[in-house]
Amino acid sequence: MTEPELIEGILRRDRNAFQYLVNRYEKQVIKTAFYFIGNMEDAEDLSQEIFLDIIYSMGSFKRSSTLSTWIYRITVNKSLNMVKKQQRRGIMVRLESYFRSVPDHGVAKEAEPSHTGNEVEKKEMNEMLHAAISRLPENQRIAFVLCKFEEQTYRQIADIMKIGLPAVESLIHRAKLNLQKHLVYQFSEYQKT
Amino acid sequence: MDCTQFKTSITAFREDTLSGDQRRSAERHLAACPACSGLLAQFNSLDAVIAEQKAASPNTFAATRILQRIENEFERPGKIHSHGWVRMLQPVAIAIALLCGILIGSYTATKGTPGTDQLVTSPGNIEFLRSNLFISDFADEDKILVLNK
Ligand SMILES: [Zn+2]
Repeated sequence: MTEPELIEGILRRDRNAFQYLVNRYEKQVIKTAFYFIGNMEDAEDLSQEIFLDIIYSMGSFKRSSTLSTWIYRITVNKSLNMVKKQQRRGIMVRLESYFRSVPDHGVAKEAEPSHTGNEVEKKEMNEMLHAAISRLPENQRIAFVLCKFEEQTYRQIADIMKIGLPAVESLIHRAKLNLQKHLVYQFSEYQKT
Repeated sequence: MDCTQFKTSITAFREDTLSGDQRRSAERHLAACPACSGLLAQFNSLDAVIAEQKAASPNTFAATRILQRIENEFERPGKIHSHGWVRMLQPVAIAIALLCGILIGSYTATKGTPGTDQLVTSPGNIEFLRSNLFISDFADEDKILVLNK
């Protein structure tokens, strides 16, 4: 199925086109969402909304970029919205527990599955990296994630973000410096514990 | 190079974009400073973390679930193809329709059977409605009573 055929098929609400769309872009959508959200199950759930959005908005696809680029844009926007929602929810949960003032210690916690030292360290590293990435300004985060995780070229990132190449270079450079700053701090704190 | 200088050039060191002099200076500092060596090791271990994230695969049934969701969305007869906010309002509309149905049902029942007014307006009955509809509190109980008159 060529791209124009796929687009026409989706506009006709053709089941074969839906199937082709999902098979063709499932990994791209879920993995990009995962890199922003940091949780595969949430990314999979969100991907359902993303595909519905793709289908419903297909009529507004201008075809000035490739379908893949356009799908990246929708995925990034939806993922960032989800991250914002999760952050708001996180703030609410922290506020609630603060006002409830229930001391955490002394409460019997569910036994956590045992991890080896290496796994714990990897898990913590993962959390620190994700925390540092989520602290980046939005544009730096998009450029960095697409470059480092999705392995998109600067040209592709420029198309997805609708900015020029020098702007992409600058965003990624600043993202790296900011990450370095956050991680140096976090690693130093980690070493103290 | 001191610790502060090394910390600000750690990415450039890892990406090998320091000048020859800077690199040699950083290497001399690393050889003498366990703290910065440890820090560099932690930064290096991030590569494995990133590689692991990149290797993570979605659930094998993820595509099936997406297709099922699409199917549900487009297979429902008379389905209005709507966007986010309309989809969000649908459960609310269903809840209101249910509530109206129950209230109309109660109204007709009280009309046909004398002596059941008490049942409809009694707090116990309202509790029953609440618990059945999973509504924690009616916004305006008086309105319910007016409807039941
Ligand atoms: Zn040092």
